Amino acid sequence: MSKRLLSLVLRIGLCAGLSLALAAPSSAIPAFARKYGLRCTSCHESWPVLNDFGRNFRDNGYQLRLGKDDVVTAEPGYWPVSVHITPSYQYTTTTNQATDQGTKSIESGGVADAGMDLLMAGVLTKNISFLVVPTGFASDGNVHLESYWADFSRLIANSDWFNLRVGKHEVDLPASPHRGISLAEPYLIYGYHPGVNAPANAAGAFGLDTNQVGFEMFGHDKASLTRYNVSVFSANDSTGSRNALSSPSIYGHFQKYFRTGSDTLSQYEFGAWGVYATYPTTFLTSGGVPIAGGGGNVQSTTRYGFEAQVWLLHEVAPLHLNLVYGRGSDNKALYFGSADRAGTFQGGFLEAIWVPDVDLLHWGLFTRYDVIRNQDQPIPGTPSNLGDQNQITVGVRYTIAYSNRDEVGIHVEYGTNRERGVGAAGLDVRSSLLFLGVDFLY
Amino acid sequence: MSTRIATVFPILAALSLGAGASSAAEVGDAQQGKLIYQRYCVSCHGERGNGQGEFADWITPKPRDYRQGTFKWRSTPSGSLPTDADLERVLINGLYGTYMPSWNAIGHHQRLDVIAYIKTFSPRFAAEKPQAPIAIPPEPPYTTESVARGAAAYKKFNCSQCHGDSAQGDGPSAHELKDDWGNQIVPYDLTQGHVKCGNGGNDIYRVFIAGLSGTPMPSFADSVSPAEAWDLVHFIQSLSPGYAKNLTGAAAPSGEGSP
Repeated sequence: MSKRLLSLVLRIGLCAGLSLALAAPSSAIPAFARKYGLRCTSCHESWPVLNDFGRNFRDNGYQLRLGKDDVVTAEPGYWPVSVHITPSYQYTTTTNQATDQGTKSIESGGVADAGMDLLMAGVLTKNISFLVVPTGFASDGNVHLESYWADFSRLIANSDWFNLRVGKHEVDLPASPHRGISLAEPYLIYGYHPGVNAPANAAGAFGLDTNQVGFEMFGHDKASLTRYNVSVFSANDSTGSRNALSSPSIYGHFQKYFRTGSDTLSQYEFGAWGVYATYPTTFLTSGGVPIAGGGGNVQSTTRYGFEAQVWLLHEVAPLHLNLVYGRGSDNKALYFGSADRAGTFQGGFLEAIWVPDVDLLHWGLFTRYDVIRNQDQPIPGTPSNLGDQNQITVGVRYTIAYSNRDEVGIHVEYGTNRERGVGAAGLDVRSSLLFLGVDFLY
Repeated sequence: MSTRIATVFPILAALSLGAGASSAAEVGDAQQGKLIYQRYCVSCHGERGNGQGEFADWITPKPRDYRQGTFKWRSTPSGSLPTDADLERVLINGLYGTYMPSWNAIGHHQRLDVIAYIKTFSPRFAAEKPQAPIAIPPEPPYTTESVARGAAAYKKFNCSQCHGDSAQGDGPSAHELKDDWGNQIVPYDLTQGHVKCGNGGNDIYRVFIAGLSGTPMPSFADSVSPAEAWDLVHFIQSLSPGYAKNLTGAAAPSGEGSP
C-alpha cells in the first residue's frame, strides 16, 4: 500500500470514527419554544443542559399544565418538529499509530460531514406525549431512529410519582450525553469496557449512553427536586435470548436536590444510579450463525455509582459542578472464553459549566476531566493499566441569538485523551480534537 | 469514604448558611432579577417590561405591561399595588388558559429576585406601598342552598352581562370589552373548572372583592357582603366538576390554589 493510499485510508478512518463519536444527537427542542413562546434559556442552563424549569417540563411529559399543552389548543401553525445541525471544522491528532513506515502520529483536519437530528416531540393529548428522533442524514445516507417513545403522565391517582414511558429511550443518567454541553468528547464512563484487546465480545456491546428499548417508570415531586427513574429494557445490540425480555436489564436512578436560597451555593444535589444488563452467552445457531432470539445463559454487565452536583453563585448564572463516580464489571463469560475473570474498572468525571452573569447569558464556558482506571483485567497477562484513560475537555460557547423560534451559537472546544498501552508496541495513545462549530437549531 | 463525606457536608452547610441572611430578609435582588427576567420572561413581557416581547403579537390575552403598576391578580383593594406575595402567587400558579406558565420549579429565591426587578418598571412601586390585603372570612360549607343563593346573586349583580346566562363568557357585552391598553379581551368562561390564578375558593373570592385591575371586571367590595361573595364562589364552583368544593367549611389546606 502506497504511503498516499495509507494516509487516505487513515484519514477516512479518523473521519468515520469522529462522525461516530459525534453521532449522538443533542436534545434541545425549539418546537417547544415556538409552542409556548419561551426562549431557549427558559429550559436550558447553558444549551443543551437542562435547568430546574426544563427538568420539570421534561418530567411533566413536555407539559406546562395550563391548558395550552394539547395540540388542539396550540396555534394551528404549530408543528412539533425541530432541526439541529452543527457544521464544524475539526482537527484531530492521534499518536503512536502503527504504519508500514513505523510508529507515526496521524493528523487530519477538515470540515466534517455533519449529520442532522430531526427532533419531533410534543403532546398528543392531555398527559400523553411523544418523542421521535431520526438522526443521521449525512452523506453516507444512513438514518436511524435514535429515540422513539410515548409517555403517559400521572398514570395512578393523578400523581406525578407514577409516569410511564414506552419505547426507545435514554436512561436517566447523572449527566445526559444527549444534553451534554460538549459536542466533541464523550463521557468515558458510560461506554467503557475492560479488556480493550479482547476479541469481539458481548461485553463490549452495552452502552449506558446508548438508548435502550423498553419501559421507563419515573416520578418526581412537584418541582422535580426529588426524582426516581427505573428502566426495564432489553439491552442494546443483543442478539437476544429465549426469555420474556430478550436481554433482560434494569437501570435505576434516584436524585435529591436541595435549594439554599443563597447566592454563594444556590443548590446542590446527590444521587445514586446503577444498571444490571444481561447478554446471552450461548446460542442456537444456523449454519454456525447465532439465531436472533436464540440465545441462552445470560450473563451480566453491571455499573453503579453516585453523583454530586453543586451550583455555586446565583441559580440564574451559576457555576455548575457535576461529579460522577462509578464502578463497572463485565462477567467473564461475556468474553467468550478469552477471559479468566470478570473485567472491572472504576472511573468518572468532574464537569464544570459556568454561565457568566454578563451579556445577558450569551456565554457558556465548560471543562471536564474524565478518568478510567482498570482494576481487574479480564484477559490473562494483560498489563493492569491497559486502557486506563485521562481526558480533558475545555470549551466555550457563545450564543449569537436565542429566541422563542431558534438558536444559533459558536462552539469552540478542545479535548485530549490519553489511553494507556493501546498504541503501536504497547505505547500510550494521545488523541486530541479541536472543534470549531456553528451550532444551530430551528 | 465516611471521613470524606463528613468533610463535604459541613462545607456545603457553611456555604448554604453564608447567604442565609439574604434569604431571611425576603427581599429580592433586582440586579439578579434582571438576568432571571432575561432568561424566562422577556420573550413575552419585553425588554422594557411593556408587554411587547417578541412573542406578544401572537398571543391572547396580551402579556402584562408592567409600567403602570396595574395588576389583575391581587389580594389588595382595587387600585392598589399588589404585594410581593401576590406577584409570587402568580409566578407559582401561572395563569391557566394563558401563556403564563407556572414558575414553581425555579424556586422561591429566583422568584423574589425577578419580582424585585419587575417592580423597577413602574415608578409606583418606589412611590407607594401596597394597601393591606383584603380580609377573607372563613368559607362556609358548600351546600345546594348556598349555590342557589349564589345563582341569585349572579343575576342581582348582572354578571351575565359579560359572562352570559350560562357563565360561558358569552354575555351581550362580551365582544365589546377592552382592557386599559385597548386590547380586546373576552370574559372568562367560568364553566371550564379552572380559574386563571388558583382554583381555590379563596382565589375566586379574592377576585370579587379586589376586582381585576386594568380590565372591566370591577371590585364588588362595596356592594357584595362576605356571605354573598361566598355564595357566588359556590355558584361558580357548581358549574363544573373541575372545581374542588369545600363541603365542610374547613380551612383550605396549605397550598390551595396551585394548579
